Amino acid sequence: MDYILSFLIFFPLVAALLGLLVTRESIRTYALTVTGVQFLVSLLLWLNFDAANPGMQFVQQIPVVESLGISYFVGVDGFSLWLVILSTFMTLIAVMGLSETRNLKNLIAAILVLETTMVGVFVALDAILFYLFWEFSLVPMLYIIGAWGSGRRIYAAVKFFIYTFAGSLLLLLGMLFMAWFYYQSTGMWSFSILDWHLLQLPFNLQLWLFVAMGIGFAVKVPMFPFHTWLPYAHGMAPTVGSVLLAAVLLKMGTYGFVRFSLPMFPDASVYFMIPIGIIAVIMVIYTAMVAFAQKDIKQVIAYSSISHMGVIVLGTFALNAEGIAGSVFFMLSHGIISGALFMLVGMLYDRRHTKLMSEFGGVAKTMPIYAGIFLFMVMASAGLPLTMGFIGEFLSLLGYYKVSPIMALLAGTSIVLGAIYLLHLFRQTFYGPITVEANKSLRDLMPKEIVALVPLIAVVVWLGVYPKPVLGSIDTSAKNLVNLMYTKAVLPESREKLYDLNTYELQGVR
Amino acid sequence: MEKHTQIILAGAGFVALFVALLFWGPNPELLLLVALFAPLVGSLFSGLLYGARPKAMIAAIVPTVLLFVSLIASLLLLFYIMGGRDPVQVTLFDWINAGNFNLAFGFVVDPISVVMMSVVTVVSALVHWYSIGYMAEDEGFNRFFAYLSAFVFSMMVLVMSDNFLGLFIGWEGVGLCSYLLIGFWYQKRFASWAANEAFIMNRVADLAMLIGIFLIFWQVGSLRYEDVFASIGAVNQDALFWAAVLLFIGAMGKSAQFPLHTWLANAMEGPTPVSALIHAATMVTAGVYLVVRANELYAAVWEVSYFIACLGAFVAFFAASMALVNRDMKRIIAYSTLSQLGYMFVAAGLGYYWVALFHLMTHAFFKALLFLGAGNVMHAMHDELDIKKMGGLYKVMKPTAIMMMIASVALAGIYPLAGFFSKDKILEVAFGDGFMIIWAVLLVTAMMTAFYSFRLVMLVFFGEKQYPKHFPNLHPHEAPTFMLFAMAPLAVLAVIAGFFEGAYRNLVSAMMPVGLPDLGSMHYALIALTLGLVIASIAFAVFKYSRGGFDPKHEQSFIYRFLANEWYIPALYKKAIIEPYTKLSAFAWQKLDLRVVDFTVDLIARSIYGAGEKSRVMHTGSLSYMLRWIVAGLLILLILAVIGLFVVKGA
Repeated sequence: MDYILSFLIFFPLVAALLGLLVTRESIRTYALTVTGVQFLVSLLLWLNFDAANPGMQFVQQIPVVESLGISYFVGVDGFSLWLVILSTFMTLIAVMGLSETRNLKNLIAAILVLETTMVGVFVALDAILFYLFWEFSLVPMLYIIGAWGSGRRIYAAVKFFIYTFAGSLLLLLGMLFMAWFYYQSTGMWSFSILDWHLLQLPFNLQLWLFVAMGIGFAVKVPMFPFHTWLPYAHGMAPTVGSVLLAAVLLKMGTYGFVRFSLPMFPDASVYFMIPIGIIAVIMVIYTAMVAFAQKDIKQVIAYSSISHMGVIVLGTFALNAEGIAGSVFFMLSHGIISGALFMLVGMLYDRRHTKLMSEFGGVAKTMPIYAGIFLFMVMASAGLPLTMGFIGEFLSLLGYYKVSPIMALLAGTSIVLGAIYLLHLFRQTFYGPITVEANKSLRDLMPKEIVALVPLIAVVVWLGVYPKPVLGSIDTSAKNLVNLMYTKAVLPESREKLYDLNTYELQGVR
Repeated sequence: MEKHTQIILAGAGFVALFVALLFWGPNPELLLLVALFAPLVGSLFSGLLYGARPKAMIAAIVPTVLLFVSLIASLLLLFYIMGGRDPVQVTLFDWINAGNFNLAFGFVVDPISVVMMSVVTVVSALVHWYSIGYMAEDEGFNRFFAYLSAFVFSMMVLVMSDNFLGLFIGWEGVGLCSYLLIGFWYQKRFASWAANEAFIMNRVADLAMLIGIFLIFWQVGSLRYEDVFASIGAVNQDALFWAAVLLFIGAMGKSAQFPLHTWLANAMEGPTPVSALIHAATMVTAGVYLVVRANELYAAVWEVSYFIACLGAFVAFFAASMALVNRDMKRIIAYSTLSQLGYMFVAAGLGYYWVALFHLMTHAFFKALLFLGAGNVMHAMHDELDIKKMGGLYKVMKPTAIMMMIASVALAGIYPLAGFFSKDKILEVAFGDGFMIIWAVLLVTAMMTAFYSFRLVMLVFFGEKQYPKHFPNLHPHEAPTFMLFAMAPLAVLAVIAGFFEGAYRNLVSAMMPVGLPDLGSMHYALIALTLGLVIASIAFAVFKYSRGGFDPKHEQSFIYRFLANEWYIPALYKKAIIEPYTKLSAFAWQKLDLRVVDFTVDLIARSIYGAGEKSRVMHTGSLSYMLRWIVAGLLILLILAVIGLFVVKGA
């Protein structure tokens, strides 16, 4: 078990290289085997994970540059465990549903390399290691969008790359400064994230570092107004690219907030709680409106992703265990549900080679199973109770209510505006009479497609009804994080605020 | 024939289950689970196994039988609770645990929920039965029963949960099923539009409810009714006020109270059994149920309760006014439902929760009956809804006509039918507690109710035959006996339900105050006045419409057009909400997102690129020229380093 995380990081990478030797005919089977094994090993991680232990588990540390405190340092806690499993699960599903035939070997290699970087980001406990995976994840995605995309794919790919890269530079600056400050205060160099967690920083410094790193994360999330690369990337990316982008890559940004900003800069987090909340509320409402105006099905889902990410950010900055646990859970559910929706759109695109709503109408008649599954995912995305989508949204908003009822209400419009654009999309595409001749002969889902979708449906229902296996360990880590923030906050008013946010009114009375 | 074997098999299974239930009867926990989950099993059976297959009788029979099973379990529980025993509680398993928030799936059968369960399962079972005939020719037969049973399951979750979030699950679940069933004939553009409208408008209210739930949690630390009501005394008055307001906004959505009412009339696009079950008898009363359930909260905030009563009185009048002139049979009944919901809220708002719940019960029976009768008429008329194009149908469909008249008399509130016992009580309490304006409004509304009910009956069943003029080839016929038998129990209940008052009052006395104002000798005078006016209104309607109705020139008057256009509220919503939102969204995308936000990003990129292009002139290749740049660069870096040092020292 000691090397399991290293296996999860490097197995896809090695498999990608070996995959170049596999013949074209068997590459699909090969990819399924590799991602399947990878997923099973990540489940092993879950089986051996101690949900009651809030600390890092499966830790492995190998010094690399000892004088500077840089090491190969990996481990998982209740947050990252699930994001790792999300990554391996969604990669497997994306490969299962893969319908691309052009240059398949290279595409599979790119997907596997991407998987390495995704797992790497979530398990890295050394800032330099984290940064390497963080940046390197851009490369396979750049390649996937640029080579297999459609329309203005080069523009979209380059925009995606440069935008997120520029954001990351600020992140790197912040990290270097953090390491330097660590050296200043302790006399030792360390890039270990866990060491940084224990360091108390003066308030002013926290503010600067919070902003520098925060912008890096914000671009990735993407937070308003840094979001405009996302619609292009989704619009031009092939299905598999969109699935992985929405399901996992965006989560790196919100994970960054949870892993770096909150525990390292507790006072700054309290300080920025309201401003970030305002940005999140704008994100929720503004992008939900933009989503409603879209004519392309995929763009609706793309903008809806931004809107939902707004609620995730809000939950994180509720700074109580309810909100933080909810936002991490929401990362998972959004990953699965938006991934499923992008896959579904891809299936329609495969049949008609268009994603414009006006080209459809009445599809429920010709593709009833497809319509049923699509509606299920739409409802999950709209946060219907007993689906996975509800729990994260509920807890995030519940958490932020304690910070500001008004802003929770404004962000809560997500459930209304979300219903507006999703039901509008569904009605335009599936209801009404069939007006376009080509839609009369559409083929309903093929077994291969159903096989890729059924696990997603099963997970959405299972974790909507019984989230405890996942939420339990997330909750443990969330409580631990809140405690850490409370103990290391330097300003008394931040401590008081944190205490207040984590208790309900009658706790003392009853 | 295969069909018959299936029916016989189903019947045998039904009997076996019945015996099994009787055998296990003394185990109330089991009964609770059977009552709750039987509809879910039926729904999954039809939906998963037959959803995408061609029409199959078994896909209707299994859910229907299971619904009767649920009905029997509910009735056994009713008798169990009526025996004066403690509420039955079952906790299934943990649902959400995060931070301080801990919630399990918990269900409770107490006097309030058992009344609701009985009403819901009685009406649902009969509507399922009726639908086997009504939907027989429909392509989406299997799907219909899957949705209908899913609705019943959600409704049971709503009424049986022992906490606010469990109620919210059911609340959203019935919303989803209502959406699916309103848009059941999805090829019709207006049907899918109405479905979206219903879902979205309900979501607006649900948001308020969700915020109310947040408020309750952060005050009390629990969402279980027991804990919440026990700590009402310790919570400050402001929080109570807002909790009551927010929960009531939620109730306004489901119960279609002004200004969130427009979806209900448009919901009539769904198949008529749906209108009977969801949009008359059960789901729309969920709001009333919520206020009754939270009666301890509402009793503690008098100003909110008073507002509820006033709004209820207004809606009662407002909806009845629109029913007066409407020509669409289903819309008339829908507005009548809305009006009666207003009555229920008056009773609840004035603190007579037991009267509200009682009217909810009797109303469910006669309003479902009225809708099912309307379904028969629609079948006979080939889905025509304009009552001005009917007339004289009594001759061809006597049983339907008689049952609809029973329902109308019950609705008008004439002794000894059910409506008299529940509706007149609402007038009594308004009068007795001195709310004269509310009382007067309700009295006028009662007259309007009697009038529009009999206007409908007269135009549809009596007077001159109008349909040969409009549809020369139409030969209306009575519905199959099978369907009439499904309606008969409702007709019986519409007649006798009023006599359950004593037993009912006794039952719920454990959960809420069951008093009535003492009117003394005024009591009989009041009843006589109300009955007299109501009968006069009926007589007026009968008199007027047996002689060809009103002069069509009235239809040009402002008041007629105002009412016929539903107070211009749908038009207002279109102009003031839907169109601006669509425009604003397009603006946000095309002007803001593409022209401003994204343009800025590209501008920065372009200017950097441009700067690179411009600064290329530095690279001339001349050594001395470039040395000068190197020195300049070094200087700039030095200055920056010094400044940086100061900044760090300062920090």
